[in-house]
Amino acid sequence: MSTNEPLPPTGWHTIGPFFPRTFFKAGDNDLTRLAPEAAPTARGERIILHGRVLEEGGGPCVNAVLEAWQADAGGRFRHPLDPHHAEADPDFLGWGRAWTDADGRYEFHTIMPAGYADAAGPRAPHVNLSVLASGIMRRLVTTVFFPAFEAANTRDPILLALPRDGLRRRLVAAEDGTAGGIRRFRFDLVLHGLPEEETPFFVD
Amino acid sequence: MLTGPPDCFSPYDEAGQPQVPISGYPNTVRRHPSSLPLFRRPVTRTELTGPLDLTPKLQPGDSNLAVSPDGRHALGQLIHISGRVLDEDRRPVRNAVVEIWQANAAGRYFNPLDQRDAPLDPNFIGNGRALTDGNGDYAFFTIRPGAYPVPNSGRWWRPPHVHFSILGPGSLSRLVTQMYFPGDPLNVHDRLLNSLPDLAARERLVAREVSTEEVDGEWLAYRHRLVLRGRHATPPLP
Repeated sequence: MSTNEPLPPTGWHTIGPFFPRTFFKAGDNDLTRLAPEAAPTARGERIILHGRVLEEGGGPCVNAVLEAWQADAGGRFRHPLDPHHAEADPDFLGWGRAWTDADGRYEFHTIMPAGYADAAGPRAPHVNLSVLASGIMRRLVTTVFFPAFEAANTRDPILLALPRDGLRRRLVAAEDGTAGGIRRFRFDLVLHGLPEEETPFFVD
Repeated sequence: MLTGPPDCFSPYDEAGQPQVPISGYPNTVRRHPSSLPLFRRPVTRTELTGPLDLTPKLQPGDSNLAVSPDGRHALGQLIHISGRVLDEDRRPVRNAVVEIWQANAAGRYFNPLDQRDAPLDPNFIGNGRALTDGNGDYAFFTIRPGAYPVPNSGRWWRPPHVHFSILGPGSLSRLVTQMYFPGDPLNVHDRLLNSLPDLAARERLVAREVSTEEVDGEWLAYRHRLVLRGRHATPPLP
């Protein structure tokens, strides 16, 4: 192989059943802070995104690791591939990691993201989620949308990549009350189920 | 202004990636979508970007797994694992978060979910986290993990392996993998390693033994390269 040829990416493997719990620190599931001791960002509406991860038969997927990534309250990313990164919220991390408990439950603390204009089309407000677990040999990726942005959702290029409206509706979280004045949104991930209930996942 | 060219993240070559289901590993069915193929989506800014400053959150510093915080040595063959994290264009990926975890010398994990009747080592937790340096290099001191039978799946054994998780410069460059040891007789039978159809791709998951003089002679030394997905894509870090 000549030295100018691209290198093939390393092959994926599962995290297996024993991803260390000692890797998790309090606040890892909080996207609003740059560090556990940092103040949360002051920009945007604080929200909770929570739900369950379910496997075949509807049982809980225990000890799954979820990673979340999203834009800030202005629809920006603090990353050089965002042409507007200079205007991004300097106090918002936008990334978090959670693991599922014995009931398959996870929870993220974040802010309501804003949409943005992308070359692929106008992005509605969304959160990208990755699922890692024993038996998932390559992470599963999907995107969570919000019910209040119905018009924007109908134009989102990633929702439109799904062939049917029924599938698109499955990627919209459900508003689920409040906790301490913070709105909660519920999003369950059905990793394997009947065709009418399985969560749509995308090619990574 | 930097923008990612449309071809900077091409689809994976499936021959070089694990194919499921895997016989004797029922979670590869129970936790994998039955609606196949997965849906194709356009790549937008959310997928191209990712967190570049995770160290306040995922703090590095545990790069010596072989010695406990109070200075006691773990049981097992002392080894040193080092290597470079590159993108597909062979550019070093700097400041990537590299996490490893592994079983102890008896093949048992510290994790409370590992209920196998093999001894725990009080001086071995078996996980570490480091950042790649200016050359994209990482390094860990640890012990060679033991093999173990796969729980609840009949009788098959995992060869000694080290789990790796790498958070690179964008969401699409995320990598979770396992590293194997050269010459281990269990490697050719491993159902996870064999789930990669391409033999060369399997061989790239096996580390290379190098001269111990690179690590002052006290540790058996292995080199292991990790290639993250992405071309022309590794952005300059702030």
